[in-house]
Amino acid sequence: MRAALLVVAAFCLSTWLEPWFQHWRRSGSGDVITIALGDSRKLFASHFYDKADAYFHNGYYPSIYDTKAEGELHMASGMAGPSEEHEKEMDFLGKPKDWIDAFSRHFYPSVHSHLGEEECKESKHGDKQHHEEHQTAAGLEREMLPWLKLAATLDPERPETYVVASFWLTQKLKKMDEAEHFLREGLRANPGSYEILYEMGRIAYEHRKDASRARNLWVLALDNFRKADEATQDSKLLLHCQLLSSLAKLEQEQKNNAEAIRYFTELKKYSPFKDQVQAWIDYLK
Amino acid sequence: MNAAASFYSPVQAIAGVVIRELYRRKDFYVLFVLTALITLVLGSVNFFNEDKIVRYLKEICLFLIWVSSLVIAITTAARQIPAERENRTLFPLLAKPVTRHHVVLGKFFGCWYASGLCLVVFYFFFAVISGAREHAWPIVNYFQCFTLHWFMLGVVTALALLGSIVFAAPSSNNTITFVTVTTILLLARHLNKMALSLNEPLQTLVYTFYFGIPHLELFDVRDLIVHDWAAIPWLVWLGALGYATVYAGIFLAATCYAFRQKSVN
Repeated sequence: MRAALLVVAAFCLSTWLEPWFQHWRRSGSGDVITIALGDSRKLFASHFYDKADAYFHNGYYPSIYDTKAEGELHMASGMAGPSEEHEKEMDFLGKPKDWIDAFSRHFYPSVHSHLGEEECKESKHGDKQHHEEHQTAAGLEREMLPWLKLAATLDPERPETYVVASFWLTQKLKKMDEAEHFLREGLRANPGSYEILYEMGRIAYEHRKDASRARNLWVLALDNFRKADEATQDSKLLLHCQLLSSLAKLEQEQKNNAEAIRYFTELKKYSPFKDQVQAWIDYLK
Repeated sequence: MNAAASFYSPVQAIAGVVIRELYRRKDFYVLFVLTALITLVLGSVNFFNEDKIVRYLKEICLFLIWVSSLVIAITTAARQIPAERENRTLFPLLAKPVTRHHVVLGKFFGCWYASGLCLVVFYFFFAVISGAREHAWPIVNYFQCFTLHWFMLGVVTALALLGSIVFAAPSSNNTITFVTVTTILLLARHLNKMALSLNEPLQTLVYTFYFGIPHLELFDVRDLIVHDWAAIPWLVWLGALGYATVYAGIFLAATCYAFRQKSVN
């Protein structure tokens, strides 16, 4: 009797739950993370994005109590090599303020270095080999990827997460398929994102050697960029220049000099190296 | 020699009881299973078909080990003397030849050894998991990490024991010790920077506080392990162990003094 009652109750509950579940799925609120965290997920995503940069610096990273450089993160600028400006930015610890400060620097990463760098600067321990031997192994940039993936899961509407992950996947790990797949995920979450389209074009051009596909992607990215508001265009000047120069280079290689000159002429308006760009235009003419 | 042995014998006996209590209780087993489970589940996640990614796993596993070890050390130490008092076993325990100092030291060493035993199991698991993933066995680094962690737990255990004399109930002692230890771990490293940005006399006050508190964050070398940095110079490591011993000694002396002043019932 009890079993029969339970079966009837379960059946009734299922007839109520099933339509509710379908409605819930259709309304697009099926994302558990969005429901659980709300807008705070963007804060967490930003934290994990920074965490990836901290991993890029082997744990040597400013806390909220240290002076942190403004602007793009170093892992996003795509240059693993040391630059004087970056060295200065990352010298946030300065000289030890007292003996506890000096002593404590032995217990956490206190020397600036990057993932995958073979040679490190003077170690805090006084010797020049402060990384273990497997530190020099290639492909250590992979260690950033879990945090980038997590950041993208929490905040899919942030194109730079996809672009940065794709950059390291292709440049250091040679994982083109995974990078393209991740970028497509990003494009689904950010339809028409010119940053993601530019990166997809870069993979097509540099790694797939597919010039026509790269051209289509970059032209689409340029069109979408031009549709963006003026403030966004001003803040993404570097990307604009990269798009124009990449297209110009591609057209020049494809012997479409007229198109290449057109892109170079547009690039001249925005580039800080106007003389060099003019020199290219003169050469193509 | 005989005097030392006769002093240490009751301490050892009390410590033995505390260790036996630990493996009869479920705390450690639950925390270890949880740590292992979370680590293994996270280890099975596939990121871009890259099976050599290990640092995130090391970081999460070490974080869980730290949380678990603090829970075990603080809760074990905080309940020792109040439980003896509540069960009225303190009177027979304090019968000659066991003094109050013996009880405090016995409880301390028992809790500290018990924490050490737990840490051995946790770090063994950590070494196996990270070794299996990255095929590297930096035993020296792990040894330093383990010893620093264990000595830090010594300071925390002594602090919790002092709290168990000062505060009325183990629950309030647990909470206050947890908050104090977490605050030190998170903020102590930055107190000097905060002090420098303040005006006098607040600057001197904060700086004095900075020099006075036990810098438990010194013993947190997780970042060095996660990011494969080289081992700490042995003299520096020894200095840190000495620093922990001094603070544990201060807290134990304070506990002995407070316990002597307090009526047993």
